[in-house]
Amino acid sequence: MLILSTFLISGCSSVRQLDVFKTEVERQPLNLPAPLTPKLEEIKWTIITSENADEVFAKLKAGGVDPVLFGLTDEGYEALAKNFAQIRAYMLQQDEIIKSYKEYYESTDKKSKNK
Amino acid sequence: MFSSLKIGLLIVLLAGAGGGFMYVKTLKADLATSEANNQKLEQSVEDQKAVITQMKADFEAQANIKATLQKQHDTLKQEFANLDKKFNKINGKGEVRDIGTLANERPDSVERIINKGTSEGNRCNEIAMGSPLTEKEKNATKKSEINSECPSIANPKYVPY
Repeated sequence: MLILSTFLISGCSSVRQLDVFKTEVERQPLNLPAPLTPKLEEIKWTIITSENADEVFAKLKAGGVDPVLFGLTDEGYEALAKNFAQIRAYMLQQDEIIKSYKEYYESTDKKSKNK
Repeated sequence: MFSSLKIGLLIVLLAGAGGGFMYVKTLKADLATSEANNQKLEQSVEDQKAVITQMKADFEAQANIKATLQKQHDTLKQEFANLDKKFNKINGKGEVRDIGTLANERPDSVERIINKGTSEGNRCNEIAMGSPLTEKEKNATKKSEINSECPSIANPKYVPY
């Protein structure tokens, strides 16, 4: 009787076996928008020598511009031009690296999705 | 006595049959396990093949990316060398160009040239920052039409000559 009761009670148990399963959730792509491309302002160089200095300043005054110039020597100008070229080259290379990373990892994701 | 022998034999027979049955049952179970193992191994081989294929594709993609970056690096290096050459060009007399002397002699001409160069350089920076090319830039093929500061990015159709 005791054994029968035990079987009956255990047969009515409401605790079920727990099923645990995992579902892979894909990481959301970052997809940052590209920054707006600025329109760069025009820069006007003025060459001033010991001979044309008076003429240059007179022109500035006549044009309603403050008669003052921020100067560079020829070597300074050359260095500035080269610095800008180097910055530009660096930007281009960084841009290419970012594009390559995006293409490499996003195309891999596509492949794994297709599997 | 005789019936005891019969019972004994029956027990031996039953035990033999039971043992045989258990042996076959175990054999079947082993076979099923072996088949399942084989399937798993086959799947594992397929998975490994897929991994190897993916790795090969990745190596190839990496090599292509590195080659593209190297090519871009070489092009930019060449353009930088061209810029350096503009400032330090050797003339027909074998003298190195001095922009300072030139500017002192012909300030208006040099002013015009450096303003053009600066304007082109600005445009190069805009392109480097993602500005789209204009139709004129896209279709430029002659030296007089190109952006001499950065033809590699500004004028895709231009072939240096």
